[in-house]
Order: sequence, then C-alpha cells, then structure tokens
Amino acid sequence: MQMTAKAWAKVALLLAPGLGLILALIGTVIYMAVTQSFGYYNLSGESVFSLEHWAEMLDRRLYFRSVQYSLYIGVLSAVFSVALAYPLAIWLRKPFAGSMLIGTLLKAPLLVPGLVAAFLFINVIAYHGIVNQLMEALGIWDGPRRLQNDRYGIAVLILQTWKNMPFALLLLTGAVQGISDDVLDAARDMGAGSFTRFRKIIAPLSLSAMQAALVIIFIGALADFSFQVIAGPTNRQSMSQLMIYFQGHGRWHDAAVVGVTLMVLALIGSAVLAVLARLLVRGERVR
Amino acid sequence: MLRKLLVAAALCVAGAAMASADDVSANEWDQTVAQAREEGRVNWFVWYLRDDLRRFVQPFEKKYGIAVTIPEGTADANAQKLLSERDREPGDIDVFTYGLNNFESLDITALFLPLDFLPEDEGRLASVSGEDGKSYILSFWGNQTGIAYDTSVLAQADLPQTAEDFARFWTEHPGKFGFNYENGGSGPSFYLNLMGAVAGVDMTSAAADGATMQSLQPGYDFFNAHADNYVVTASNADSIIRVSDGELWLVPGWEDHLAGLQNRGEVRKDIEFYIPEFGMSGGSNGVAIPRNAAHPAAAALLVHWLTSPEVQSEFNRVFGTAPMNAASDDSAALVSNTQRSRSTAWPSDELRKPVEEKFIETVILER
Amino acid sequence: MSQQRLNDILLFALLAVCVVWLVIPFGMAILWSLVDPAAPWTADRLLPPALSFSRWIDMWQNSSLKAALINSYTQAPLAAALSLSLAFPTAYALGRIRFPGREIAKLLVLLPLVVPSYVTAVFFSSLLFQLGLTGWKFGAIVFAHAVLFLPYSIRILIVSFEQVRDDHIEAARDLGAVFWRRWYVAYLPALRPGIFAATLIVFIKSIEMFAIAFIVGSPDIVMIPSLLFASLGQDYVRPNAAVLSLILVVPNILLMLFLERLLKSANPSLSSGKG
Repeated sequence: MQMTAKAWAKVALLLAPGLGLILALIGTVIYMAVTQSFGYYNLSGESVFSLEHWAEMLDRRLYFRSVQYSLYIGVLSAVFSVALAYPLAIWLRKPFAGSMLIGTLLKAPLLVPGLVAAFLFINVIAYHGIVNQLMEALGIWDGPRRLQNDRYGIAVLILQTWKNMPFALLLLTGAVQGISDDVLDAARDMGAGSFTRFRKIIAPLSLSAMQAALVIIFIGALADFSFQVIAGPTNRQSMSQLMIYFQGHGRWHDAAVVGVTLMVLALIGSAVLAVLARLLVRGERVR
Repeated sequence: MLRKLLVAAALCVAGAAMASADDVSANEWDQTVAQAREEGRVNWFVWYLRDDLRRFVQPFEKKYGIAVTIPEGTADANAQKLLSERDREPGDIDVFTYGLNNFESLDITALFLPLDFLPEDEGRLASVSGEDGKSYILSFWGNQTGIAYDTSVLAQADLPQTAEDFARFWTEHPGKFGFNYENGGSGPSFYLNLMGAVAGVDMTSAAADGATMQSLQPGYDFFNAHADNYVVTASNADSIIRVSDGELWLVPGWEDHLAGLQNRGEVRKDIEFYIPEFGMSGGSNGVAIPRNAAHPAAAALLVHWLTSPEVQSEFNRVFGTAPMNAASDDSAALVSNTQRSRSTAWPSDELRKPVEEKFIETVILER
Repeated sequence: MSQQRLNDILLFALLAVCVVWLVIPFGMAILWSLVDPAAPWTADRLLPPALSFSRWIDMWQNSSLKAALINSYTQAPLAAALSLSLAFPTAYALGRIRFPGREIAKLLVLLPLVVPSYVTAVFFSSLLFQLGLTGWKFGAIVFAHAVLFLPYSIRILIVSFEQVRDDHIEAARDLGAVFWRRWYVAYLPALRPGIFAATLIVFIKSIEMFAIAFIVGSPDIVMIPSLLFASLGQDYVRPNAAVLSLILVVPNILLMLFLERLLKSANPSLSSGKG
C-alpha cells in the first residue's frame, strides 16, 4: 500500500501517545540498562566502559543453563496456556445457561496475585499437604513424597498455566465470539468437521489474539521470578533469579548483562513465536 | 549526568553534615536533639518484624515527641528505593536498615552520612564478626546462624556436631536435613563453615586466592558425595516451616528469625536451636542515615537511641538478639554463652563471592 | 449428540476440574485463615486444632489494610482508564491502518513488559523522580502503571480493532451516520470485549505491581502489594497470608462480575457477529 506524507503524519500522530510514550520513557530506561551492562551506571563504585562483563558471563555455564531453563519455562507456559484456552473459548462462544458463571470461574485465577497462588499451591503439595494425605489414605503411596521444588519445573509450569490460561481465554473468547455464525455455518454445510472448522476458519480468524496471548504470556514466564523462587527446582536458576542474585551482591553490571539478555530473548522469542503461529495457521489454510 | 548530579548533591549534603560533625560537643548534640524535636518525624525503613518494632519504638516516640513511621517493605525494595531516589532532595528514607552483609552491595560513602557526630559511646560495636561497618553504619541488631532441630525426633545428644557427624546423619537419615543456598544467609553460613571444617581451612582468615580455592576442593567433594541425602530448600523461612511441619528434622536458620516465627504461632515451640562445634557465622543488621534524609536530626536521635546500652538490653529482653553494645545486659539470648563462643566471622567478601559461586555451579546445579 | 447434552456433560466435567482448580486451594486458604494463633496447625492434623476469627479481626484492625485497599482500588481504575486512553489511538493505527513497519511497531509496543524487574524498580522510578513527577506521588504511580501496562491495552485493543468489520463501517457511512454515531454503531460492539479484557488486565496488574507503588509511594502511600510482599517474605506467617489473600480476592471478583455485566449487556456475538 502506498503511504502519502499525510497518511504517515496521521499514523505518527496516532502512535505518539502510546508507542511514542513507550519509546521515550521505557527507551531511556532500556538505554540505561544496556549501558550498565557495559560498565556504566555503576551503583556501587566507578563507572568504566568495559566488555569484560559480557565476556565473563558468556564464559559461564551458570548463565547458559539459566537461559536454557528460562526459555523452557517461557515457551511451554505460553503453549500450554493457549492450547488449554482455545477449546474453552470455542465452547463458550455462544452463551448458554451457566456459561457466564463458568467464564467467571475460569477467569478467577487471574484475580489471585501470583505470590498468593504460589503459596496456596505449595500448601497443597507440601510434604504433609492434602495431596500426600489423599494418596496415602487411598493407599496409592506408602508414605509422603517430596513434591516441592520438583526437578523439571512442573510446579512452575502448572502455576504459570494456572495464572495465564485465563488471560489467553479472555483474549481468545473475544476473538472467537467475533467470528460470524454465517461463516461457520457455511463451512458446516460444506461438510467440514469440527477440527477442520477450527483449522480453516477459527484459527486464522483469531490469529491476532492468539499471537498476542502467546507473546505476552511468553514474556512473563520467561522472566518468572516469584514462582521459580518458591516452587521451582532448586538445581536450576531462572534468568530473573540469576539477575536478582547478582544484584543482591552489588554486582550491577553482571545483573545488567543477564537483564539485557532477558530483554533480547524476550523480543526475539516473541517475534519467532508470532511468526511461527502465523506460518502454522496459514500453512494449514493452504493445504 | 546522573553521576555529576549525584556527586554535587552528595558534596552539598556532606558539607552540611560535616559542619555539625566537625565540633562534636554536648552542646552541639543538644542542638541536634532540639532540631529533631522540631522535625517531629522520622521514617525508618526496616525490612523485618515491622509490627513488633512499631511497638518497640513507642517509648522513643513518647520521650521525644517524634513520630516514627515504619513502612511495609522488603529488604530488596528498601534498597531499590534508596538507590532510585539517591538524587532526590530530600528523599523519603531517614533511617535505613539492612543486613551488615548486604551493605557491601552499596556505595556507602556516597549514600550515607558519616555517623561520628553522634555522642561518643565506647561500648558501641560498629562492626560485627570482622565485617567493617566503618562509621557510616552502626549495628543495632545482633543475630546468629545455627541449626534449628525438631526436639520431638532428636535428643540433644544425637545432634551432629562435626563434619563426620553430619556425614553419618545424612547417611542414616536421608532427606531429613535441608538447607537453602539463597534467599537468606543461614544456608550459606552452614556450607561455608562446614566446607572450612572438612578442608581444614580457616574461612575467616584465609586469603582470597587460587590456593585457598584449591584447598577447599575437599569441601565441595564432601557435599557432592552426600548430594542424594540432603534437601535443598527455597529460603530461610521455607527451611524453618518444613521443620515445624515435620518434613525435615534439622535445618540451618537464624536464631532471631526462628524466635519471631515461634512468637507468631507459625512454628512449633518445640523447635530448638544450637550452634554445632565447627561453628557458624554471626551477623547483624545495621542502621545508616541517607545523605538526603528529610529529617536528619531525628534520624540521628533514633540511631543514637537504638544503639544505646539500655535499648540494646531491651532488644535482648524482647527479641533475644545479641546486644550490639558492650554495656548491655545479654542474659536473655536464645543460645547459651558456651554455644555463642562457637560463633564465627563470615569469610571476607573477596573469598565468599567465588566460593559461593563455585558452590552453586558445582554442587547445586549438579544435583 | 445434541448441543444441550454436550454442554451438560462438559459442564459436569468442568465443575470437577474447578474443584481442583479453585476449591482446593481456596478451601485450604480459608482453613489456614481460621487457625487460632494460640494453637498452630501442625502437619499431623487434618484440620486446625482450634478455629477462630481472631486473625481476620486483627488484620482488619491493626494493619494499614484499610488505607491500602482504598489507595489501591482508587489507583488501579485510574491507571486502567489512563492506559486505555493512551492506547486507543495507537491501537487504532496498528489495527486498522496497513503501513510498512507495522509488525515492528507491534513488537516495540511490548518493550515495557520486557524490561527486567530491577531495572523498572531502580531506573524507571529514578526517571520519574528526575522528571519531577513525584510532587504528586499518587498521580506519579497512576501514570507509571498506565505506561508500564500499555502493552496489554494496546495489544488487546489491536485485536479488537481488527475485528471491526468493514461492511459495518461502510453501512454506517452509507446511512449517513456522523462520526460519533459511526463509532457507536460500527466500532463499539466489536471493541467491547477488548475494552473489558484490557481494563481488567491493567486493573489487576496495577493492583499487583509492587516495585513502583512502594518505591514512589512509601512511606506516605500504602498499597496492597506492599502488605502482600511484607507478609509473604521473611516474616511469613501462613494464616496471616491466607487472610490477606482472601480479602484481596473478593473485591476483584466483584469487579469482574460488574465489568462483565456492564460491557456485555448486549451479547457481542449477536451484535457484531451477524453481517
């Protein structure tokens, strides 16, 4: 599409209060963080330009393992949340008796602060918690098992999904409800089964909502700190955890290196997820 | 620019403070007290037991007619506030409390007022366990790491005291001992001291060099050899709660933290506390006055009050802390004086940093 | 199988899931909140040894909870309203105008979410102080939250703007509807779910946001997350944390029901779905 100067001016004007404000304020803050990773803005001593902080960090296994672990949590949390939310959103597309109540119930975790959720969860899976008591009472387990801080971060994934599925549901419900009945009816008349209808109509038409949900959940889970610290595996560190560890020891530049990595990964990961989602959906439609 | 602004502001405030610090006389202090009354208010940012401390400072409020505000905040958030408003004039923080270990992460000379303008007090212990609080920070809350244990399963005689004892305990009772490696210093105190004992290295005096790191290797091997038999917990609080819940029998902890949780009915009263023979580190919380404090005189008065012998005795009586003033009564401490003598100093910062990092990389992440 | 029957089966399945999803954690929270301070709930008991409301009464009377509730529940709707207003033009541009670089702009919108926590806490609040915004602390917090949560409002509204159907706009135009009328008829029905979702999300996020509210607000302004972080940190006492959690969830649920009624008074699938 050809853009005239006037059209550009209009776009710029429209973007100013939202994107403009973000770039001005958050851009400044990001600039500070990036320069801090190169030795500036030292909060506990002299500021000197240096590539050393990056060089040292890129040499550490600690760093790469936390990058790996955070990506694992970020991607899986986003995928699980969206995958669970889709069928529910489609089910709730047309109102029926009780659908409002169900919608509200499903969205309830959104309203529970993350910290509270983590402590409630730990309570449930504690050594003498209700899960262990139940399994013992049923005779399935001989004695209590240690479920807290499991090795594979399953607790963190459950918590992330618990907290974020409602967010995906919120976005997808709006998008799915916007699809007109005519289109779906037409497809049904042409003999399309429910999965085909999803693939060929619902997914493409709600792509933007799905991308937004995937990306926003991914960014949040990638930077997870509170769930990881409380319920996460003790033999893994998330990037935020590593960053806070460095910061707590006054190692601002090391913290900034991890922080900047986190930002870059979040942006690249978001772009990749958005593109992948589009390719997947478009690819389906071509076939 | 940020830095320039900061230096300018720092110099400006420092100049003002130096004027009062230059000629410390009884008269001058009287003036400070008068000014403090005029200010009428002081904001004390402290990260723990805030409810109890609000009650504790009531005598101060009554005596001087100065309102003490203690906002709800965590240690991290308090420090972040301190840093983000360092260029502000005036700031919100009048008195800042942080673990003496944690002050290392701050540029204390740039951030705080030197405290030599307070009336002289020989008994004040400015530094605890070999950590230099300089004259910018005064310790007011002495505490001790040790091991909390469940008296319903362990008798005093069964308590592991040496490295060999711990190895035996771990083998005989797998999964009953836990410690944290972050979110609180009790776990690090445990493994640092135990590694020193295993490797025969005096952690307090050892130099921070390759040779020391080399000689500590048996310590790392010790923890790796028994990795399957101990549990790693999430934090100080997590450890203590899991002992109280009966999951674990023994965990490192802080004596004041354990007492605080017991007083609130969160932790069973029959959890007790000891310091093993190889020793564990003592620590303290310090108070400092930010250079941009809005109520500097009231802040100085509060710091003076908190570190005075009478109030230190009172802290000991109410919270069981180790008094930070030599002239105080320490009869109400939670551990006996025999055990207190096992208290060790933390390794120097230069040594602690690489040792802890290596512990995380080669022990924790290899589990 | 009829739709009705399918719904019934799904309804029961879902109720079962809800038990695991909500009833167990909240049931446990309610039990914990009722633990009598004199008798700790130890692991060997299925239920607390003694129940009392003393923790609830104590929390209500002896903490800054009331002030925090008032502050937070005034601050959050203002932040949501401001964030949505700032987001609207940008979301319109990104959702309705096809211009080169649109995808990059959509990515850049995410920047506030990407900034690491301590950077927000130290640098962003320091920027707010330097901009002199803190003369009115409350306003500074509202503004900061509105900016930090712009990604939610912008991205959600983009989705809604994309759903507005061209034929609706054209029909309205053909009928000679004036600008505002056109908005009301063609845009608003499609935007409703987005406005609901964005308001809710920004509201909740600003209620939960700890760093800015504490660093800018303390010691004069107390907000809910400060209480929460304080009670779930070093001085962690499970019964008190449970009381606080339960008190915090109730107004949020009421708010959601209210918003849902307000914004979905007309069924969106009927108002925007039929061509």
